Amino acid sequence: MIQITNLTKTYGAGNKTVHALNGVDLQINSGMFGLLGPNGAGKTTFMRILAGIVNPSGGSIRVDGHDLTTEAGKHAIKSMLGYLPQELGMYTELSAEQFVDYMAILKGLDDSKKRNKRVSEVLEMVGLRDVAKRKIKGFSGGMKRRVGIAQALVNDPKILIVDEPTAGLDPEERIRFRNLLVNLAADRVVLLSTHIVEDIGQTCRDLAVLAKGRILFRGSPAGMLKATEGHVWSLTMSGLEKPNHDLTVVSMLHLAEGTQYRLVGASAEGYPSAQLTQPGLEDAYVWLMKQAHQEEPISHL
Amino acid sequence: MKRFSLKYTLLTYRLDQLWFPLAFWAFFVILTLLLNDQELNFNIARAYIGVAVPLIGGFMAAYAILDDPAIELRFATPIRAAQILFERTILIFIIQTVSALAFIVFALLIGVDFAPLGSALNLHLAWIVPTITMIALGTFGAILGAQTMIGSFLVGLVWIIEVIIRDGMAVNNWKYAYIFMGILAPEHPDLVENQLALFALSAAFLFLTWLLLHRQERYI
Repeated sequence: MIQITNLTKTYGAGNKTVHALNGVDLQINSGMFGLLGPNGAGKTTFMRILAGIVNPSGGSIRVDGHDLTTEAGKHAIKSMLGYLPQELGMYTELSAEQFVDYMAILKGLDDSKKRNKRVSEVLEMVGLRDVAKRKIKGFSGGMKRRVGIAQALVNDPKILIVDEPTAGLDPEERIRFRNLLVNLAADRVVLLSTHIVEDIGQTCRDLAVLAKGRILFRGSPAGMLKATEGHVWSLTMSGLEKPNHDLTVVSMLHLAEGTQYRLVGASAEGYPSAQLTQPGLEDAYVWLMKQAHQEEPISHL
Repeated sequence: MKRFSLKYTLLTYRLDQLWFPLAFWAFFVILTLLLNDQELNFNIARAYIGVAVPLIGGFMAAYAILDDPAIELRFATPIRAAQILFERTILIFIIQTVSALAFIVFALLIGVDFAPLGSALNLHLAWIVPTITMIALGTFGAILGAQTMIGSFLVGLVWIIEVIIRDGMAVNNWKYAYIFMGILAPEHPDLVENQLALFALSAAFLFLTWLLLHRQERYI
């Protein structure tokens, strides 16, 4: 569905050149695809390129056979796209129904009867049917995000791009939002960008980890866990001493016998009492990031 | 596919874009009524329609495209750059047109004689040409600098320079860029050439704006 080859994006020139994306190769098929990475990794640039808003500096992107680097291709791709940006700006004086209706018009849904039906459907889908007539300015952050996803869905897009959709949502809203995205991924590509590891773990069977503009990992959450096996330890230490030896503390818990640390690193041989532990996705992410600081991309599973 | 809705274009239009020109209009009406001098009335009327209306249009145009809270969502839709440009600037031109025409009607009702400006066509070209030029300049400046402030600064700068050195603008090749010739020097022998040049300049500004609008990443 989406074929990305050697994608690069640079900003600025000379000494101030920033490589936001540096030789990204990806193939994305139907279903839920997660893009994980720290802040500043290049995720938003990547999503904006796929949404046809930012022009790549190099490489090729084909979406459903259309070339995103041409004006005609961009136009065709935007017609099959739903996009929820990280910073969601809206016309807050409009009601939810009006806003989604307006976006539907901009996306080319001219038939008012069909459009009204579709607007009602998507508002129902995101649970806003009862407040559809209320102005957006009175909505909570979660409700605004749901209006955002409703406008993204109104043209029944083949590709749904959502950039950090759960940022700022409370746990209940986040769960609801994740479930909604999984449901939507049944018959389309849903591209979820986030720095929240849990969101990816709960929703995606296919993911990529991006850092400093490069793909560090491409595969499944299970593959990511497998690549981390043998690098996660549990260690309990008493006193004020803290573990080091190039180990990253993922979590710590104060117990009666001391402090229990969860550690990620290449080796814990400096701590004989450290016990190997099954990695979680968060550990796997930390391990990848540690690797990124030290070497080239580590795997392609 | 039309991808356009007048209803939502109006609903998403910022109200201050209406209050701003309305306040100017009311100010000039009140000023005219207070001074109540036949000769002054003509000068106030031409100052408003030919100098103030273009300035307001230019300022508003600087904010027209970039001052859009949903600009990123709009860019992600398949609407063309030309439509964005047209949709966001035409309303400003309409508001300025209504303002100018309403003032002309008011001026005629209180007995202002616009004969010094020439025919009815000349009267209307005297405010239409500078208004279009300033709208094009404001839009172009904002898009070129990717900031609304740059557009409004450029409009203000050109406006103040041309008003201050208006006599100098009427000679040499500067006469083709003299935005207020139709209203301040209506008897100038090169008025038609001036207006054609300003139309061409406006078209060039709008064309460049259209080209720049394709680089959407500059504006988000």
